[in-house]
Amino acid sequence: MGKGIEGLEQAYEILFTAILIFLAVLALLCLLRAVIGPKTADRIVAVNMLGTMVIVMIAVLTLMLQEDYLADICVIYAMISFLAVIVLTKVYMGVYLERKKIAEMSGETKSGEYTAGDEPGKCDGNDKAEK
Amino acid sequence: MEAIEWIKFLAGALLLLLGTTIFIFEMIGVFRFKYVLNRMHAAAMGDTLGIGACILGLIIMNGMNLTSLKLFVVIIFLWFSSPVSSHLIARLEVTTDEEQDKHYRRLILSQVEESCERNNCEEKNRKQESREQSNCEEKCRVQAAEKEEVK
Repeated sequence: MGKGIEGLEQAYEILFTAILIFLAVLALLCLLRAVIGPKTADRIVAVNMLGTMVIVMIAVLTLMLQEDYLADICVIYAMISFLAVIVLTKVYMGVYLERKKIAEMSGETKSGEYTAGDEPGKCDGNDKAEK
Repeated sequence: MEAIEWIKFLAGALLLLLGTTIFIFEMIGVFRFKYVLNRMHAAAMGDTLGIGACILGLIIMNGMNLTSLKLFVVIIFLWFSSPVSSHLIARLEVTTDEEQDKHYRRLILSQVEESCERNNCEEKNRKQESREQSNCEEKCRVQAAEKEEVK
């Protein structure tokens, strides 16, 4: 960028680098949110946010490196991250409902048991979030 | 020509910084809220406004190009996909939540309407003034709106 104008090239370089570093830090925070959960929906929201930030990073790189094909990758990445959210939610909901059905069939008196430890969406951090 | 290039740079930089700021607010919101459905509210902000501002800034810097058009397609796609994914995540949370009473309460529409009508009649009997009636109706409307929001 800048087309040989004095100072403008440097300005573009500094701006793009600064924004890339900023987005990298925010992406790390997103990853932290995805790790500490505490519910599955939390993790999926974090993954969605991470996808958005990566799209912006790729878009910035398109201009910074002057490679036009990166814009195509941007579009594809948006579609794939949308697909990831759909698949994750549908699969998790299907697994949950199936487990609930099995637990109900195996005996209604025991139906409370599978919620204690078997369910994948819950972990120890759950109590912390509800305070 | 130089001046125009500089103006393009400044406008683009302003929009890029605005987008990054919105991303920061998004992260703050996601770490401050305590429940998924609240966090989603903060997370949806970056999906539409944050990425919209960032990519609009990049388009202004790039000028009218095929690349700019592709970047614009990303914004359009995200405007359509973000509400859909939010809806799916919310439905996942509501179906799989085991302790719904702790997080939110469900209002049943018919019950709320009945209680609202009852209140309306009582107040009408107590005070026959038209002003009071309009107050009462307003209250009823506000209650209905709240109920719809919660739903």
